[in-house]
Amino acid sequence: MKRMKLALLVTVLAIVPATTAFAQSSEGEVIVVHGVPDLAVDIYVNGDLTFENSTFGDVFGPLALPAGDYDIDIYATGADPDAGDPALAGSTTLPAGAVATIAAYLEEGGSPTLGVFVENNSSTDAGDARITARHLADFGAVDILANDGAVWEGVTNGGGADTDVPAATYNIKITAAGDPGTVAFDADVPLGEGTNTIAYAIGSVEGGSFEVATAAIAGLHESPSGVPTGDAGLLPGINPMVPIALAGLAVAALAGSVVLARKER
Amino acid sequence: MQGLPTREPDMKPDFSRLPTILLAVAVAFVIGAVVTGLSLPATEAGDVLSSETALSPASGASYPGSDISPSTSEPAAESAPESIPPNEVSLLEQLGSQPERSPVRLRIQAIGVDASVAEHGVDRRTGQMDVPRNVNDVAWYKHGPAPGERGSAVLAAHVDLSSQGPGVFYNLRDLAPGDRVAVSYDDGSESWFVVEARTTYDKDELPLSTIFSRSGSPTLTLITCGGGFNASAQEYDSNVVVYAIPLEQFPTPTPETA
Repeated sequence: MKRMKLALLVTVLAIVPATTAFAQSSEGEVIVVHGVPDLAVDIYVNGDLTFENSTFGDVFGPLALPAGDYDIDIYATGADPDAGDPALAGSTTLPAGAVATIAAYLEEGGSPTLGVFVENNSSTDAGDARITARHLADFGAVDILANDGAVWEGVTNGGGADTDVPAATYNIKITAAGDPGTVAFDADVPLGEGTNTIAYAIGSVEGGSFEVATAAIAGLHESPSGVPTGDAGLLPGINPMVPIALAGLAVAALAGSVVLARKER
Repeated sequence: MQGLPTREPDMKPDFSRLPTILLAVAVAFVIGAVVTGLSLPATEAGDVLSSETALSPASGASYPGSDISPSTSEPAAESAPESIPPNEVSLLEQLGSQPERSPVRLRIQAIGVDASVAEHGVDRRTGQMDVPRNVNDVAWYKHGPAPGERGSAVLAAHVDLSSQGPGVFYNLRDLAPGDRVAVSYDDGSESWFVVEARTTYDKDELPLSTIFSRSGSPTLTLITCGGGFNASAQEYDSNVVVYAIPLEQFPTPTPETA
């Protein structure tokens, strides 16, 4: 079986250290994106039919998988994997703690390809959300705007980036680079706190199949660093700061000291 | 995924029967379970990422008097379907959704509290929880659960403010186990909670990951300042934290004796 080795991508994936979310785990997570229009496929993972009859726009996961090596083979739906070569194939290593997107998508010009992208699953500051944009569409360079301000400019096919912003709903626009009049995508997107929302631009603008699919990596949140709820010192006396479990002991000690004090008279 | 389908407790796949191949756990958003080409054991549809939030009462900070037991795990999903289904299309719309109901009022008869509750997030300048400007108002940490949902729902209010005097939580330190707390919600509903423990933590030792936990049994966590006061810094050195649990989960001390 002929396999297209994604050597460069594999290298990138393999050197990513485990990050906080999975530091203690031997698992990683995988998101699978089907971004090739007009092609229904069966996706085999290590020889097993895992995603059956997937169609354009499907997103699977994040799915937890043991860290390790994986072969991905994609056949037209129903094709006998023993009878011929896969339409697309690749292999990759999933490190523990990583979240990786495996995407079948169109290069600029329209050729289908398979790519692996490591997603940012580091923790987010309290109150923040993360957005990741990936340009996996048959289209030229794009600008990506949030609330009409440019976030990324000149992103080309296969490219992507992420950034952290205060959790809120944002108007997201994708336009042809330097051409705000050519809008490929325009929608209000809620970005949840502690979540990396990943937007995959897929399909072909010229062919009319362009769309944005999404996935989310949740649970990245951190706690606020404190709760500042007083600045006047109006509480009476000195609070003994005694945990309730010890309150009884404190009362007993107090009573004892009173007794002693009286005896000393 | 917050605001997304309720998170389930951490669940570990059963690896005992796991062949050396793919074990795919269907994660959040993927209703229905798992797969592999072979008939692998079905595993729970749990959110694996919550292993991070397993924040098991970090530092083992189980608070005094706790009778809160670890959450019971959900039953395993049904037998494995043919293949993993794609995520639901409505994912985008669910991403930023808020809890189903938000708290709007807090009443604690034992200490004379009857206050309005508003949602607050994070003070981006300090990284601390954003708190009300009005000393009589209560803040709900909107990024965490609402009271009654899984995890720790945080309601914070002032013990005092130099500009306004004593605050609505001035007497929070007087709450004791067994005291009742009522929370009203924006949908007109109301839930009762029972104080289970009160603790004063040095601010440097505040168990933040427990207080702001988004997993585990439903806990209502009330917070204000207390302890000693540093007059020059104009701040208290501690936080008074009261933990309450839903009334219906309050353990009955003795069996019912008709």
